[in-house]
Amino acid sequence: MKKNCVGCHNAKVQSGDVNLSAAHNFDGDRELWERVTAKLKSGEMPPQGAPRPPAPEINAVTRWLDGEFLRQDRATKPDAGRPTARRLNRSEYNNSVRDLLGVDIRPTENFPQDESAFGFDNIGEALNLSPVLLEKYVDAAERVVRTAIFGPEKLKPANIHYSAPVRLNELLTNDTKGRPLTPEQVKDYDLSGLSTRHAAHFLHRFPVDAEYNFRLVLNGHRPNQSEPVNPAFWVDGVKIKDWMVDATDLEGQIVEVRAAVKAGEHLLSMSYLRNYHGLPASYNGPEPSNRKAEPLIGTRGKLTEKDIETLRKYGTKIKTDRVETRIDNRWESLDIGGPFNQTGGPSKGVFVCATKDTPCARQIVASFAARAFRRPVTTTEVNEFVSFYHLTRKQGDSFEEGVATALQAVLVSPNFLFRLERDPLVKAAGADQPVNQYELAARLSYFLWSSTPDAVLLRLAAANQLRQPAVLTAQVQRMLKDPKSRALVENFAGQWLQFKNIDVMKPDLERFKDFDESLRYAMRRETELFLNNIVSQDGNVLDILDADYTYLNERLARNYGIPGITGPEFRRVDMSKNPRGGGILAHGSILTISSYSTRTSPVLRGKWILENLLNAPPPPPPPSVPALDDTKVGQSASLRQQMEAHRKSPACASCHSKMDPLGFGLENFDAVGAWRDVDGKFPVDASGALPGNRLFHGPVELKKLLKDDRAAFVRGMTDKLFTYALGRGLERYDRALVAGIADKLPAQNYRFSQLVVEIVKSYPFQMRRRGNLTAARLGETNP
Amino acid sequence: MTYLTGKHISRRALIGGAISLPLLDSMRPAMAAPAKGGGQARRVAVVYVPNGIIMNDWTPKGTGADFEFSRILKPLAPFKSDINIVGNLTNPVAGKAKGGGHAKASGSFLSASEPKYTVGSDVHAGLTFDQLAARKFAAETRVASLQLGCEDSRMVGNCDTGSSCAYTNSISWKDADTPMMVEVNPRSVFERLFGNIDPSLSPEVRARRALYRRSILDRSLESTQKLVSTLGPTDRRKIDEYLTSLREVEKRIELAEKDTEVPPLEKPSGIPFQFADYVKLMFDLQAIAFQSDLTRVSTMMIGREGSVRTYPEIGVPDPHHPLTHHRGHPDFIEKVTKINCFHVELFAYFLDKLKNTPDGDGSLLDHSTILYGGAISDGNQHSYVNLPLLVAGQAGGQRGGRFVMAPEKTPVANLFVNMLDRVGVATETFGDSTGRLDLNA
Repeated sequence: MKKNCVGCHNAKVQSGDVNLSAAHNFDGDRELWERVTAKLKSGEMPPQGAPRPPAPEINAVTRWLDGEFLRQDRATKPDAGRPTARRLNRSEYNNSVRDLLGVDIRPTENFPQDESAFGFDNIGEALNLSPVLLEKYVDAAERVVRTAIFGPEKLKPANIHYSAPVRLNELLTNDTKGRPLTPEQVKDYDLSGLSTRHAAHFLHRFPVDAEYNFRLVLNGHRPNQSEPVNPAFWVDGVKIKDWMVDATDLEGQIVEVRAAVKAGEHLLSMSYLRNYHGLPASYNGPEPSNRKAEPLIGTRGKLTEKDIETLRKYGTKIKTDRVETRIDNRWESLDIGGPFNQTGGPSKGVFVCATKDTPCARQIVASFAARAFRRPVTTTEVNEFVSFYHLTRKQGDSFEEGVATALQAVLVSPNFLFRLERDPLVKAAGADQPVNQYELAARLSYFLWSSTPDAVLLRLAAANQLRQPAVLTAQVQRMLKDPKSRALVENFAGQWLQFKNIDVMKPDLERFKDFDESLRYAMRRETELFLNNIVSQDGNVLDILDADYTYLNERLARNYGIPGITGPEFRRVDMSKNPRGGGILAHGSILTISSYSTRTSPVLRGKWILENLLNAPPPPPPPSVPALDDTKVGQSASLRQQMEAHRKSPACASCHSKMDPLGFGLENFDAVGAWRDVDGKFPVDASGALPGNRLFHGPVELKKLLKDDRAAFVRGMTDKLFTYALGRGLERYDRALVAGIADKLPAQNYRFSQLVVEIVKSYPFQMRRRGNLTAARLGETNP
Repeated sequence: MTYLTGKHISRRALIGGAISLPLLDSMRPAMAAPAKGGGQARRVAVVYVPNGIIMNDWTPKGTGADFEFSRILKPLAPFKSDINIVGNLTNPVAGKAKGGGHAKASGSFLSASEPKYTVGSDVHAGLTFDQLAARKFAAETRVASLQLGCEDSRMVGNCDTGSSCAYTNSISWKDADTPMMVEVNPRSVFERLFGNIDPSLSPEVRARRALYRRSILDRSLESTQKLVSTLGPTDRRKIDEYLTSLREVEKRIELAEKDTEVPPLEKPSGIPFQFADYVKLMFDLQAIAFQSDLTRVSTMMIGREGSVRTYPEIGVPDPHHPLTHHRGHPDFIEKVTKINCFHVELFAYFLDKLKNTPDGDGSLLDHSTILYGGAISDGNQHSYVNLPLLVAGQAGGQRGGRFVMAPEKTPVANLFVNMLDRVGVATETFGDSTGRLDLNA
């Protein structure tokens, strides 16, 4: 050290703000020494040009340092961590009221965004409660309680208008990359039209169960001499109706259908069935039309009198300028009218008695409050809520109104909005103690379901049995199998792997003419189904790194270029023979969120892998980093050549030599996850080397190598899942625990449930650090 | 050869067609309110643009009253007498701070305090000057302040190389530890301003429901106060926050019950498809909020710092942020300038609206002070000196019409002190200010 490091990192020079000559206190300067170890391992230090000791010497130093860290971690006592009352975040609130009242109206949709920290939005410390949010809670309590007691709010029919997204014109005889289609390809298209560029898709949230009127306004122009077009309308990939429209000029043509739809989010699609069928013979399409030709008019120059007459007669439009012809809309709009004939009544289960008198009201309120507070309630508490029932009755309102007011009061209480864990009145301040059984039930259910404990958990808590190891394990298994464990995919994995961001990505319309809502939806579904399988079927977590299967429908399969998959429904597909392979790195969602809107970025993808899969986030770049010249990519030099030039700078090389090869291995996937062999004018070179001179060619080989780094992956995943489970950032005293849990996984065949069970049984999940109760009671403690 | 021919939608229809909402003058008698504390109400607003500006195309030629509008600022020429362009202001804090180049710019901008370098829950910067004003006006308006944004803030993870998303998603901070999330949905802004009352209910039913709500809040306040004393310190801090919010909501309900007017515009259904329409709608909502004296403070982020929005409608299909690292490439610079121009055009819409809305003895613009600009000058280098800034409005006797060259390296906080002064919030210092930058001098 003295010989090779202290020359720059000393009290006088302090390169990079690091002074190693003063850092004698190994325990106190742990973070500094961890940085040193990382730099030594990566080969960033000593820098290029400085004398470098032989590798065995460096290895000896890092091995010794690692050993010291381990020794330290083992010597550190486990600690429950700082307790903080956790406010329910948006999805926890939605799910809790759903499970308490049977009302799935997701009232938090227009709540302010929850604050997040350490990559998650369930961190107690970070979650604030602003006046705006409290006002929303008051509104939401009224809405959900009234919906439960009186049935869904009776909504007046209204119209919602969606303009069809603008599609830019591309020769339809070409594929999306501009390559001409072969005659076979012309005939091989999605007959349903759902995957073609003539489709328009909208993700719409319906407020209530009811009938809705769908008015589809067509646009575009069918060539002279064609058979009638066959527009159709789908909800969630299920065809509701199709029509025959015999017109050349489709602009403003209207078709309508009324259909019953359940409340919630649905994918609405409109497209043309058999769109390439029935065209004039000259188009070489399938089943050509043999209709007679109508008179044509010129597409250049001024209109003649005769042209105008033809126009009047046939309603034919002509192209007038370049800008306009680039727009290629087959649809004008979709209008949704409704709701009509609203269905759905009060939810069952609120009225646990039927006598409509005060004792019954009391019974309803008491049982609801206990479930909402996730613990037994005191008589004082029940009395307080029942007083709202009396207040309402005194105003002349009905029994149901009285109950409604009382339940609303329960839902704005901090005992519901926060997960409060109470200190018992004994024991010394500062000591750790087990959380009580009810608190454990809540920790479990908010961890695995993002929701309130169900009757089974509460019963086990009441019987004091939940903490028994066998019971706990069985409950975890049960909860993961329950459909509510989808919350773990959405909230944990959605934030850990950031695939939730697919909802806000905006790939460039000019370059990715195919990208639309249906593809976005399909990408999200693929990842959700894949991860949901691991969670609910107790899969192997290494599948995330690399797997031989995925979930596809026709839309997504066509984007990936995988033949033989028809229809909008998803199915499990064997990927072992496909050059894409499986695992999360072959998912369109991940490939899109780690790209720019116009192009791929090996740097972003490499960074994504290091941060999320290998638990090795790269440090920030130096200021005024030169960026890549987009316009030149694929033109004067390949992206790869340009980046290699960029990496010549030693300042950049230290990190980019780690990030870029990972990203290059995925270069066969474009910025929306479609397969490609060329980028611009250049063939894709998806080869590279990982540290240790491990060479690979293409994504499948890259993923095989990543599986070698499984220890880092499992460690990183454990770290994230632990953070999410505890709702706090991890501290140094947690490290030995994380390492211990991660180390147990290989013997458990990397099963997801084992990871969860270990976390649930861990010290900080079971324990709580006591606050300074006495002082707080005396009102002397300042936060 | 095409199989189907696309129909004509003119370019104009795609980018134009703003659905601007008129401020109906017939509504005014009920709405327009002199300041409740007596005298003329004054407003303060900030309109923020991200990723720096092409300064060559921003900086006017000449100084003082005798300057020539630059290419980017040209749309503001009709408002010359209402604005001052301010040169040479610097954000020294951003220069010194650690963290991502964008995070420390927006994270320190309006507070002139250093944002702590963290991705954790311990975000820390400073009270921002708009919020200092909001504290002062809070008692007089229904809504203390608005924080608006025109870009989805749902991104998760760390936003700028190890700096929390809080620094790039928000520019207003309620105090040093509390960034204020921007509201991006016009519908929610509307509900925030006008409440979520069901007009189909009879007045009697509404009154009873209001009574129940009030008593729920009252009782919650009482029982929670009792609860607090039994909690440990960290839990207690969270529950104190609940109590503070509860009191504020009670106060707001009280104020809302006094106003029974009908909102002067329809409830927006959501986020308009075209970006220009979206931004204009957000400006409309701010103008209405000022006009009705529902709030006197607003900040709006046209984009979050580091924004990768594309602008195909103006011929820029490339993401904004990577473009700004242009390394002198003329095509990139041209595209960034186009984006800068587009934003200023939209801002001109706001000024136009304010100028044409009567207020007291003049217009809304006469009684406002509005900062437009960003926390980065040259986006290529992440430069925090000579920031692109201008101040519009004549609140508190501010005169306009000049390109004011501040002494070199004047902290931008000196301008905030002046703006606060113009709206009647006297302060000697703010953040790292070294004095007051008087634009009339």
